[in-house]
Amino acid sequence: MLRGCGRGAAAVLRGAAGSRGASGQERGPEPGRPLEPSLLRFLVCPLSKRPLRYEESTNELINEELGIAYPIIDGIPNMIPEAARTTRKRPPAEGSEQP
Amino acid sequence: MAPACKRRLSGKALANGSVGVIYQVFENVAEKYDVMNDSMSLGIHRVWKDILVHKMNPSPGTLLVDVAGGTGDIAFRFLNYVRSVRERQLQQKLRHHQNLSWQEISKSYQEEKSNPLGDSQVVVCDINKEMLKAGKQKAQHLGYSEGLSWVLGNAEELPFDDDKFDVYTIAFGIRNVTRIDLALQEAYRVLKPGGRFLCLEFSHVSNPLLSRLYDLYSFQVIPVLGEVIAGDWKSYQYLVESIRRFPPQEELKAMIEDAGFLKVDYQNLNSGIVAIHSGFKL
Repeated sequence: MLRGCGRGAAAVLRGAAGSRGASGQERGPEPGRPLEPSLLRFLVCPLSKRPLRYEESTNELINEELGIAYPIIDGIPNMIPEAARTTRKRPPAEGSEQP
Repeated sequence: MAPACKRRLSGKALANGSVGVIYQVFENVAEKYDVMNDSMSLGIHRVWKDILVHKMNPSPGTLLVDVAGGTGDIAFRFLNYVRSVRERQLQQKLRHHQNLSWQEISKSYQEEKSNPLGDSQVVVCDINKEMLKAGKQKAQHLGYSEGLSWVLGNAEELPFDDDKFDVYTIAFGIRNVTRIDLALQEAYRVLKPGGRFLCLEFSHVSNPLLSRLYDLYSFQVIPVLGEVIAGDWKSYQYLVESIRRFPPQEELKAMIEDAGFLKVDYQNLNSGIVAIHSGFKL
């Protein structure tokens, strides 16, 4: 029983650490896991099938046209449209910088 | 990932087989996936996967996309295969050249060291984060890094460009896809002309005696194993039911042909418990 609780606690801590990493922040021991460069050859937006731009500062793959950004978590790009973030808070002409 | 993180699934929700429910099933089983596969199939799933990769017979330089490949079983076998083919190629080259200078011989060894995979690459695509995480950890543990990448994506809506891959594999994944036709269309799209589609999946046993034994084993033994090993009866009952609901060999063959593949064929393994379907984009 106690062992299970301990493991549960460890899992929660690990989960919390993982979600912190997901925001693209650099953690102490590990560099903010960048994308495997060879993957960029293959990856496109799953919705429009158009090329993506890798944004190093936020560690995201950006589709300029649709104004959406796919996060890269632990070096694994999350290419599920539901998970993507819209980048457009300002008119498209100004680019897709984060507000 | 402690058992405390697992969520209880209602039988009715599982029977409906909605996407979210399927996601949760694999989230629950990801940690114990490999152990359960060994227990349920008595280790035979390894042989099925070996046969798949041997059938693929990839040459160095092949680009493979392994969809629903979560824990990397096919990807690792692929990498092992091309590495050994490459080694053999380089050895053959040495053997056929008489009177090589020491410089030429050492250059050949350097080649082998610098490019052991011969530019082969595999992209593992799965919709489930937990499965991918488990796969990535396994890769690190086993020492796979070169030529391997991981993508979180939906088989019905692949984040890959057209005409990109030489081979598309989906091993024990397609029966969990809601719209199999969409997945097959996407498979066709991302394959290069001349590319090959390979699907390894549970199928239909026509022999009536074997079918009864198989049913008995599936419904009586597997959920029990699921409860004992993974603490999750319902997920494994779901898995068994999803196998029963899945279209049999000829029907799947027709669906693959509908997606545009040619020379579609299938090979039964273990009297149809499992089948490998193959098609080409020509």
